[in-house]
Amino acid sequence: MERKNFIRSLMIGAISTPAIIEAGKKTSVTDETSSGSGTAGTTTSTNGTCTVAPTETEGPFPTKVPASYVRSDITDGRTGYKMTAKITIGNLNNSCAGLAGAIVDIWHCDAEGNYSEYGGTGMQSTNYQSVHFLRGRQTTDANGLVTFTTIFPGWYSGRATHIHVHVYNAAGTSLSVTQIAFPEGAGTSLALVNGYNKGMTGYTYNNADNVFSDDKTGIEIAAVTGTLSAGFELTFKLNVKA
Amino acid sequence: MSTKVITLCYRKIIDASNTSPWDKFVHEDSFAEFKMQAQFYNLEKQFTTFAEMVLNVPEAQKLHFLVSAAITGYLHQLNGIIPDILDNLGRRFLTFENFKFELINSDITNLKKHKVAINFFSKPLVWHDTVNNLLLVSPFKENNEDEVFTNLFQIQPFLSISAIKNID
Repeated sequence: MERKNFIRSLMIGAISTPAIIEAGKKTSVTDETSSGSGTAGTTTSTNGTCTVAPTETEGPFPTKVPASYVRSDITDGRTGYKMTAKITIGNLNNSCAGLAGAIVDIWHCDAEGNYSEYGGTGMQSTNYQSVHFLRGRQTTDANGLVTFTTIFPGWYSGRATHIHVHVYNAAGTSLSVTQIAFPEGAGTSLALVNGYNKGMTGYTYNNADNVFSDDKTGIEIAAVTGTLSAGFELTFKLNVKA
Repeated sequence: MSTKVITLCYRKIIDASNTSPWDKFVHEDSFAEFKMQAQFYNLEKQFTTFAEMVLNVPEAQKLHFLVSAAITGYLHQLNGIIPDILDNLGRRFLTFENFKFELINSDITNLKKHKVAINFFSKPLVWHDTVNNLLLVSPFKENNEDEVFTNLFQIQPFLSISAIKNID
């Protein structure tokens, strides 16, 4: 009961406040206000939708920042066997010499086979701190090389282990969209990692993969060296027309 | 009596008419990223608008997510505070960790047609009462305290309650 009264008093306060402000603004006092009578008006506020103007110190002051893809270490806390990916972009129009200044995007799945992605049309929200894990962007150096620190990718049903690559020229025009495959068989990184916790039951090998199965010469397969304890190093040369 | 715990969603629309520096950076950088990422779904260069891409290549829905990387750096600059929405004292008071970026419309040939939205989802709030046309809320805490600091604010266009939970 007391609480109800308290809220009522708040409500009355909220209604009467604008009247007091208005009254204070007037230089001449009319009879109606001086008489101290009358009843509370029913006029409601038409003060738009922005009820209160900002009354804070300005800031924080924004500064220009690149897309969060731009980084060398793309792990974002994902656990797995460490892998350094060294990708060299060559120019087919220049005897495959290293192409400097090219923009290279890579992305791949985590140890469980999941990509960083959230719903398209639904209202699924996500934490802005780690939303783009295992996605990165680097610009090639004078030798056409980019280096990423990441984890060895896991796998998911229907696909062989792979890394997606999208190469742009310095102006952002797409030059190539492709995927990097992994070597298979005894002693390879793929066999050592052994599908993480999933194992390799149900795995799709390169020769059954709908992307890599037409690659009879292995041109899409990277060279991967290393061990589980020391981590792996992947090297790949991708030639584009630039 | 049960306690109502709510999540607010503020959908901030940004297009070529926005003038604040932060909004302009988001507009320009998300447009640049859209032009880059859209090429993946437009390899034949048949389309110029986002609407055409989604209609013809349903996978292009991923562009909402893919382009969002262009603006997460700007989200960091907000220090976890939802912009624009003020309490009745004129202070920003809503905090966030979660967001969802949307491409509303875009055209790779025209920056002026690029329109996006950032949905900011507030951290959970306890809805104590409704005072006149104002909601009285306080940050939700697991441990009940005797006295909590509260904020009064008005529901306004592009601000909504996106989730509610009754806790006994």
